[in-house]
Amino acid sequence: MLTDDFLRQLISVGEVDLLVGVPTHNSAETVGQTVQGIRVGLLKYFPRERAVILNADAGSKDSTRDVVAAAAINDVQRSSDLYALRTLPCISTVYGDSPAAEVALRTILAAAELLRAKACAIVSPESTNITPDWIERLLRPVYRDNFDLVTPVYRRHKFDGLLLRNLIYPMTRALYAKRVREPYGAEFAFSGGFCSHLLEMQVWDHDAGGVGTEMRMTMAAMAGGFRLYQTFLGTKPHLDRGSADLVAAMRQTVGTLFWSLEPNLQYWSTKRDTESVPTCGAEYDLTTEPIRVNRKRLYQLFSSGVGELEPVLKSILSAQTLAEVQGIAKLAEDDFRYPHELWVKTAYEFASSYHKSVINRDHIIQSLAPLYRGKVYTFLVENRDASGEEVEANVEALCLTFEGLKPYLLDLWNARE
Amino acid sequence: MTLLQDGLWYKDAIIYQVHVRTFHDSNGDGIGDFRGLAEKLDYLQELGITALWLMPFFPSPLRDDGYDIADYRSVHPNYGTLNDFKSFLAAAHERGIRVIVEMVLNHTSDQHPWFQESRSSRDNPRRDWYVWSDTDTRYKGARIIFLDTETSNWARDPVSKSYYWHRFFSHQPDLNYDNPAVREEMWSIMQFWLEMGVDGFRLDAVPYLIEREGTSCENLPETHVILKDLRSKLDQHFTGRMLLAEANQWPANLRPYFGDGDEFHMAFHFPVMPRMFMSVMLEDRKPIMDILQQTPAIPDPCQWCLFLRNHDELTLEMVTDVERDYMYDTYAGDKAMRLNLGIRRRLAPLLENDRRRVELMNGMLMSLPGTPIIYYGDEIGMGDNIHLGDRNGVRTPMQWDGGWNAGFSSADPESLYSPLILNPVYGYPAVNVDSQKRSGHSLLAWMKRIISARKSTQVFGRGSIEFLHPANHRVLAYVRQLKNEAVLVVNNLSSSAQAVELDLQRYKGNILVEMFGRNIFPRIGDLPYLLTMGPYQFFWFRLRRI
Repeated sequence: MLTDDFLRQLISVGEVDLLVGVPTHNSAETVGQTVQGIRVGLLKYFPRERAVILNADAGSKDSTRDVVAAAAINDVQRSSDLYALRTLPCISTVYGDSPAAEVALRTILAAAELLRAKACAIVSPESTNITPDWIERLLRPVYRDNFDLVTPVYRRHKFDGLLLRNLIYPMTRALYAKRVREPYGAEFAFSGGFCSHLLEMQVWDHDAGGVGTEMRMTMAAMAGGFRLYQTFLGTKPHLDRGSADLVAAMRQTVGTLFWSLEPNLQYWSTKRDTESVPTCGAEYDLTTEPIRVNRKRLYQLFSSGVGELEPVLKSILSAQTLAEVQGIAKLAEDDFRYPHELWVKTAYEFASSYHKSVINRDHIIQSLAPLYRGKVYTFLVENRDASGEEVEANVEALCLTFEGLKPYLLDLWNARE
Repeated sequence: MTLLQDGLWYKDAIIYQVHVRTFHDSNGDGIGDFRGLAEKLDYLQELGITALWLMPFFPSPLRDDGYDIADYRSVHPNYGTLNDFKSFLAAAHERGIRVIVEMVLNHTSDQHPWFQESRSSRDNPRRDWYVWSDTDTRYKGARIIFLDTETSNWARDPVSKSYYWHRFFSHQPDLNYDNPAVREEMWSIMQFWLEMGVDGFRLDAVPYLIEREGTSCENLPETHVILKDLRSKLDQHFTGRMLLAEANQWPANLRPYFGDGDEFHMAFHFPVMPRMFMSVMLEDRKPIMDILQQTPAIPDPCQWCLFLRNHDELTLEMVTDVERDYMYDTYAGDKAMRLNLGIRRRLAPLLENDRRRVELMNGMLMSLPGTPIIYYGDEIGMGDNIHLGDRNGVRTPMQWDGGWNAGFSSADPESLYSPLILNPVYGYPAVNVDSQKRSGHSLLAWMKRIISARKSTQVFGRGSIEFLHPANHRVLAYVRQLKNEAVLVVNNLSSSAQAVELDLQRYKGNILVEMFGRNIFPRIGDLPYLLTMGPYQFFWFRLRRI
């Protein structure tokens, strides 16, 4: 429920054309630069539109909210370096005392609906490399061209976004038949109509613990027949996540993907050929400068994980798949490869088991982590010296394998039903 | 009724701008005249205006609607005689209506005898009454004002085979104010009319009197010296008269025209006008606030003049490029509506004949600091004709009734100086004084009420202004205060209902008395004062400690 203070702020803002939401938590160090980029983008590309910057804050202890509020342009605060035709309100609300992406997003969605925003964008406070044209690239397709969801495409290092390229993108593409590169970007935009749809669906209320909200939005858009668009935003800052973050990331992404298959069965089970999504700018852009990656540890975690988790994997995987996984786990590091087909079958069997809840669903997701590390090891080896195009060809081959084996998942799904 | 002898009368004035030609034709020749205008003074008195500003009525070839004067001491025969003018002036004064006359100082018609003499030979005594040059390369820093028709500020005269300077049309040569004889003659002309009894002058195009190399030839110090001299002479010889500056400039450049209270009494605040339109279209008070916050304080006896529309295009010179594009796109979608750097449309068509917006704009006009000017016909919501050339589309005959020629003239329609407005929305059968007099809810009736409310207090004409800054940027709110009297003005610039919380702690304990219905609103307490407002609604509240 929105607070009275926040409601008062919304009343003062009134109806808007554009809303840019910035979820924060102790983001004072970076959010100023981000909000400045948003402000310049709005003034440059949408000078006539009624816009608001909305900060949903998780109880920051630093000056995050003040920094955001300082970006407003009104008759008290005027910008010396920017010309604004109209007022640009920056409002802020505290939705809790710890970060919760789904609550932040729900707050922004609710505000967007109350303000009757025609187009909304979400920008991460960490996106200090934001340029004004991000705002144009995110909002224009919705505001001017009537798309419902705009997902980002980032320039990444070839070894960044590995979970995305080895599982999420190919599997989502195969099942939902839409080639959405980044189904859970930190930046995205959506229409007022889709916003209302999401609020009605309450897509965040599921048993994955309220994580993966952005991804659920993408699934909802695809399954709901909403118009999708991709927009290239440039370099994605690489956030170095330790192994401890992997399971959390998998819960948010893989867990969400698996979860979404149940409510959307009617949709994905009948889809055959994949469709491309209109894209502004490059569909992919990989950089290939050399970086150090500890492959050995990945291999070790894979091998040990397969051994330690054998009882769990037995309940998830078919006997044949488990045997093949155990077989490659015995290979020497130099000979070890996780073939595409085996990886796809692994993923589909995990999805099916998740659906069936053969064991605790969270344990299923956790159990996938060591196997995924084996696939990542393979990816790193196979693409060690690859160019961007070669990496992309490799990813495309995996996608085709996911698409080719989609009937396998359907058989599993129906058999287990 | 006699004129109140208050030297600051112009601060409380409600000025009505009219061209004699447009108002009423008494002799059936198709052109309005002074006798006709005099016949309509009762209407103007009933409307409540207190001053008339007359556009140029002097003999002229009328190539710029009279701003090309050929004789400063007479009346164009189309409009009557000097005696007709004197009778009209007396009749206006009898009704408590002052008369402000246009005085075009900067230039004359090229048909004026002075110019004919000046061009006749380089040795003519009047040669130096105008600005001549053998080349057209001097004063390159001066912008061209009438971009749609002129390509240079110099024109070659085939008679004297040299170039003359003109800031406006090429048939309007600029007088040379470096020549003391010119200055003396212009003051002599002003004296001529002042002695007759006119109450003030609207001095046209005053920034351009002097030219200097390497400058924009606008707002030069020497120009101010000349204007101060005129004011000094006025004060020495006459009392209760007023000078109004037409200087389409940014507020900071306008400020010097008030001097230390020793130059102009009043000046048009040009930049605020387009921003009022912009604010209503944007539904955002920012444009108005921006320009008023940039507006410098002026000496106590001085006053701004505010207007919504006038005889010219809605000028967009004093706006940014972004603002101009916005104004064009939103108010002049049809390119025929555009002229020079402006929009040639009347108030009602600009506001899509939306009565609520017309009222809101007039409400702001009457309550912001300054003296309001109403352009003839806007009090009944007259329309325009963008298919007439130049600015003639906003200068069509006044619509008095639904009968022959709208009650303007008994002439054959073909001989009217301008076609009447005939379209179904704004045509005279639909929009006229007679029909609006019959309804207490007409725009005309409403205009009478708001003028009356404005005149009920001096706070609007003479009071200070304190802006409130409610979080709701669709609401423009301010308190006007004069001594112990305070009026709270709240304007909803939005097309939708709005709730607004006002910080009125400074006025805690006061009750609000709405000035039109005189209803009482709750007392101001500790909490922000909450108002809910309908689309485009505005309130004027007297703050009273009872």
